[in-house]
Amino acid sequence: METAHTDKNFEQKLNHLTDNLIKMSNIVEKQIEIAVNVIKSKDSSDAQTTQNLDEQVDEVERDVRDLSFEIMTLHRPVASDLRLVFTALKVSKELERMGDHSRNLAKRAISISSSFDEDLTDQMHNLGKGVQKMVNQTLESFFKKDEVQARISWNQDAEIDRQYKSLLSDLIERMHNKQTSVVDEGTKPILIAKSLERIGDHATNIAEEVIFNITGHYIDLKKSDFE
Amino acid sequence: MVDQNSNYALQTSEVYVHYGKKMAINNVALNFPKNEVTSLIGPSGCGKSTFLRCLNRMNDVIDICNVKGKFLLNGNVDIYSPDIQVETLREKVGMVFQKPNPFPKTIYENVAYGPKIHGIASSQNELDEIVKDSLHRAGLYEEVKDRMEDIATGLSGGQQQRLCIARAIAIRPEIILMDEPCSALDPIATAKIEDLINELKENYTIIIVTHSMSQASRVSSKTAFFHLGNLVEYGETGKIFTKPDKEQTNDYITGRFG
Repeated sequence: METAHTDKNFEQKLNHLTDNLIKMSNIVEKQIEIAVNVIKSKDSSDAQTTQNLDEQVDEVERDVRDLSFEIMTLHRPVASDLRLVFTALKVSKELERMGDHSRNLAKRAISISSSFDEDLTDQMHNLGKGVQKMVNQTLESFFKKDEVQARISWNQDAEIDRQYKSLLSDLIERMHNKQTSVVDEGTKPILIAKSLERIGDHATNIAEEVIFNITGHYIDLKKSDFE
Repeated sequence: MVDQNSNYALQTSEVYVHYGKKMAINNVALNFPKNEVTSLIGPSGCGKSTFLRCLNRMNDVIDICNVKGKFLLNGNVDIYSPDIQVETLREKVGMVFQKPNPFPKTIYENVAYGPKIHGIASSQNELDEIVKDSLHRAGLYEEVKDRMEDIATGLSGGQQQRLCIARAIAIRPEIILMDEPCSALDPIATAKIEDLINELKENYTIIIVTHSMSQASRVSSKTAFFHLGNLVEYGETGKIFTKPDKEQTNDYITGRFG
């Protein structure tokens, strides 16, 4: 258990900052979960929910930004406190982008015809599930200050990228074969897959921030380190 | 271990200080790189000022204070050797105190006093030059050049402290010890002293005790954290204030005082 600050006001603000990040993470995790499900369900009210949640995410992000600024101005944080504020600013930005991608992919998913290729839908859904798991584990590593888990999460991005490329290859191949249901949807499935892949990239960035928050260093992570 | 061929102005090891039976410093080893500023931080009673005062034998005048350990100036001069005259040592290791303490003499005499008693100047002209140069280096000359014969105690607190710095550097020391030099000064005077410290490190090694952690982070390249007479952590100031190795250091500098 970390010792509390003697300055209770400062302690409360840092706790509030962490609470905001937890709140923001919970919303974004929910957004991603719903958006991934919409790939199959094509439920337009769920897609609307991702839109509504996005507004909440933006609001909390503004709170994190303002509170971080206030803490830096009034309390001049150093060491672990400074790293927390610095990380909070960067993680909140990554979460906000993840929220945007979730909203966009849900919106595109409901516009795809229900007769769209089932196998490709499954692939998109599986990719989404993989991304969702990666995001959950990365955020858990942040709040538990678990460096090992952050590194494991970071490593998962290679698998996400592999699935994404495989999905793109399949899409292109079916277009070459003039599979009408695929061609008719144009770029929508590609953009959905791209949104999922980008969410994975943002989770990777968060994993790097988690490692910085714990160690004070940005590790020059290379995918080759894990392959 | 003391490195004979070091880039350190001062090396200390196995330092123990007792006031009577009470231990004030417990086995501290700390080296001070030349032409760098080292901050000593820690709560009141942690031993940082006691340690600082060991470095020019200021504790000698306290009867119950017992200092043990190795203190090497420039890698080879044992400052506690019976062969070393305290006055000679203090030519090399000057000191500036918490409260500005000019002599009740003129501004000129304050700065000229040290060079005179140490026989540094061979003529009045040379002494005048030393006084002028020291006041320049302390960033005070322009403010006092037309009133060198005024009594120094009439200067503002910040000017008095810069005068004390001029007085310290007039005897050409290698090391300047500063014991909370800005604690009695306003932010403007503090900024001037900090700016001066930054300039002085070109020519001197500076060791500063400060209660202000923001001051330590602003002026020093190395920081040592003391607690209950122990040296808890020493390192690059940037590292100490971003990711100290010890939890105790992190707790202190982030304001977690238990």
